[in-house]
Amino acid sequence: MNIDFALSSGVMLAKLLARRLDATNASDFKVRVGDRIEASPRYLVLDLAAIEFVDSTGLSAILSVLKRLPPDGVLALVGCQKPVAELIKLTRLDRILRLFATAEEAVQALAGG
Amino acid sequence: MAATKTEQKVAACGDWTASIRRHARLSLALPSGLLTAPELFTATALAACEPVIEGMLDTEERYTRADAKRVYYLSMEFLVGRSLENNLQNLGALGAVRQALAEVGGDLEAVLAEEHDAALGNGGLGRLAACFLDSLASLDLPGFGYGIHYEYGLFRQEIDNGSQREQPDNWLAYGSPWEIERPGEACQVPVYGSIEHAQDAQGNYTPLWLGWKLLVGVPYDFPIVGYGGQTVNWLRLFEARASQEFDMEIFNEGDYLRAVEQKMESETISKLLYPSDEVAAGRELRLLQEYFLVACAVRDMVRRFERRPQADYADFAAKIALQLNDTHPTLAVLELLRLLLDEKGLPWEEAWRTVCATCGYTNHTLMPEGLERWPVALLERVLPRHLQLLYEINHRFLAGVAERWPGDVDRLRRMSIIEESEPKQARMTHLAIIGSHAVNGAAAVHSELVKTVLVPDFYALWPEKFHNKTNGVTPRRWLLTANPGLAHLLDEALGSGWAADLERLRQLEGLADDAGFQASFAAVKRRNKERLAHLIADSARVEVDPASLFDIQVKRIHEYKRQLLNALHIAHQYLALTEDGETPPVAKTYVFAGKAAPGYWAAKQVIRLIHGLADVVNRDPRARDWLRVAFVPDYCVSLAEVIIPAGDLSEQISTAGTEASGTGNMKFMMNGALTIGTLDGANVEIRDQVGAENIFIFGLTVGEIAAIKASGAGRPAGDSLHDAGLRRVLDAFDGDRFSPGARGRFDWVRRSLVDRGDPYFHLADFAAYRAAQERSAGEYREPVGWWRKAILNVARSGKFSSDRTIREYADETWGLRSVHA
Repeated sequence: MNIDFALSSGVMLAKLLARRLDATNASDFKVRVGDRIEASPRYLVLDLAAIEFVDSTGLSAILSVLKRLPPDGVLALVGCQKPVAELIKLTRLDRILRLFATAEEAVQALAGG
Repeated sequence: MAATKTEQKVAACGDWTASIRRHARLSLALPSGLLTAPELFTATALAACEPVIEGMLDTEERYTRADAKRVYYLSMEFLVGRSLENNLQNLGALGAVRQALAEVGGDLEAVLAEEHDAALGNGGLGRLAACFLDSLASLDLPGFGYGIHYEYGLFRQEIDNGSQREQPDNWLAYGSPWEIERPGEACQVPVYGSIEHAQDAQGNYTPLWLGWKLLVGVPYDFPIVGYGGQTVNWLRLFEARASQEFDMEIFNEGDYLRAVEQKMESETISKLLYPSDEVAAGRELRLLQEYFLVACAVRDMVRRFERRPQADYADFAAKIALQLNDTHPTLAVLELLRLLLDEKGLPWEEAWRTVCATCGYTNHTLMPEGLERWPVALLERVLPRHLQLLYEINHRFLAGVAERWPGDVDRLRRMSIIEESEPKQARMTHLAIIGSHAVNGAAAVHSELVKTVLVPDFYALWPEKFHNKTNGVTPRRWLLTANPGLAHLLDEALGSGWAADLERLRQLEGLADDAGFQASFAAVKRRNKERLAHLIADSARVEVDPASLFDIQVKRIHEYKRQLLNALHIAHQYLALTEDGETPPVAKTYVFAGKAAPGYWAAKQVIRLIHGLADVVNRDPRARDWLRVAFVPDYCVSLAEVIIPAGDLSEQISTAGTEASGTGNMKFMMNGALTIGTLDGANVEIRDQVGAENIFIFGLTVGEIAAIKASGAGRPAGDSLHDAGLRRVLDAFDGDRFSPGARGRFDWVRRSLVDRGDPYFHLADFAAYRAAQERSAGEYREPVGWWRKAILNVARSGKFSSDRTIREYADETWGLRSVHA
């Protein structure tokens, strides 16, 4: 999976350049994001705007990324399309992650906090 | 008053001929020329779709403008039958289309017969749902159905050498012109998985539902045209599809077949209607079907609720009512709660209050197989988050019970949703009652039994929750359309409009003794019987005389409905005739039709027995002038529409206390048949309406049966067997009298009735049934008296219009108001 990484105001931004996050690429996603977590700040923003489909394996991969953040770390999701947002709410991941409409909003909120 | 858009559209389609030709050419790509009946059916239905769809959009606009409260009727079954005739009738276009078809070289009856029944139901429960939708639309009420788009409806019944054989019913083989596929409104439905225990940022326990498999529910809308065409509601049926065309990982690994298999597995969920509750009991696929329906329905109704300008969840129950048609959709209680808690973030108390204020539950059966229980282990595997919620509901509920009845541990055990059996089971009836603000049975006597026998503990806790809503049937399909001869007679006698106000039939009472009216009424019945006689000759290969008394029992074959009691009496009559020389008071034709669940041995044996009887009786020259027996194969809605108007005597002979209501009894009454029946289900109310002198009531009452059971005396088989006639019948079944060359084929009758205690009281009721039969036959010999009674049955059938039932639901359970055009 191609992922664009960028650091902004102390927040790591990861933009997923794929149309789906599922069993076919979830392992790759975990490895690639995990590598960056080792050296990144405690705030990570996943930009899912391109993702049209996510399955349970994909959501579990996001959860495992959260678990690798430091205890005071925050994982935020931005740009979720409607079907993706529905499943995040359904699994209740929105209770332990933070959701924003755009990357800018997320960076502002996290860097400010 | 200005014409509605629908009326304008019907008028614009005034040239039905042109419309039918246009659809034949442009929608079906058929060259000009003579069209076949199937082609004409599709072209005509598509022509009808124009005003229908216009009406549906018009109606939706009207409801939206009024910000009307809506009711959603959740049912695993909708036994719709054919739609073209009903839709044209309700649009007021039947005459115009008849003429248009004649112009293009077609015949309306032949074209109507081309439509395949939508048999998405087993019997009464599914047909009731379809009647209710008709009434909702006819009363301009915002009411809609949610169900499953089964690929295969109820099996087709073939009779092979007297035995039932099941064939798949691929009702969509040639597509349906009525359905509108809506892939853009598909719902995502997760199933299976597990709960991961996590904490949110504030340290609160936050269970996460992960590891699920995703299904997609694609809706298909079927327009429901109300009488007069002013309102067109819809029935939305969901089809299960895999979430992706293929699991790409498996596909990429080159295992194409396994990838396709996975896709097929997901789509299996809406493949097949279970042919009975017994067959469905405990099946994982059935649980998946039930959850699939409620998950799609709840998402869909919530989505519609949120389209409103101010979607405040405090208003949810003021804007939405959800009716559970029996326990099958009870998971809606859990699904709505989950959605409000997990997805909308409502606190428990508010979410639960909203669920209870929204849901209503109709109980349809006291039979054990109808009372669903799901193994807790299965629920945990398929719906782990819902099981968590179910435990929490139960915990809170039992705490309330314990507070009301301190120290009453046995009561807690009885009322718990969880049955501490091995394996542990979840009682869906309890969940439905706890999660609903209103609970009702389907006839007065049934509703009493719900309170006193089925769930007395719940009645003691919440007496105000329990109501009665006696079932009804739509007079548009079951009288106006099915019996055009009688409808015409009623128009002449009462003027038009009675089909929307069935109580007006009361005015017929004044004509009950009118010789001219009686003659016209009898002539209509005679024509209907001739029509049925043709059908019987074609399908059952039995010649019957329309002048004979048509004694009809059509319904699912089940022990409690006691087709066997009817068969015992026919055998008795035959033996009395052939051995004792006792000729019956009148010549009789006994007509049966109905399907037996494929795995229900006893019911299938009854079909075989009726065929055995028919073979012997119909061939015996000593009997054939007096008795005929016919079993019409493949009972379905469109067959019922031919059979019921031809009935003289309607057999409603279930063991008292077993039939919730019955609706066949109402349809026969409405069409001028007299009922021979027990005091069971709605028969009691039919007697109250028509008067005891106009119905043939017999047999043990609910109270008497309860007393016999309570006394532990067992069935009075010994007493009944003093009856020489009955003994002779059982002996005949033991031998080869009704199974020449196959002695003992029917010896199960004695085993079941004598050796195994006759749980449905056939023997105990036999003498009373025989006497009632004799009474009815005797009265049939006096035509003036008989037709008077038949006319009074029609005149007093107004109560049994489903419009009355729906008005009661709308006023007392749903808080729903009509939104007139």
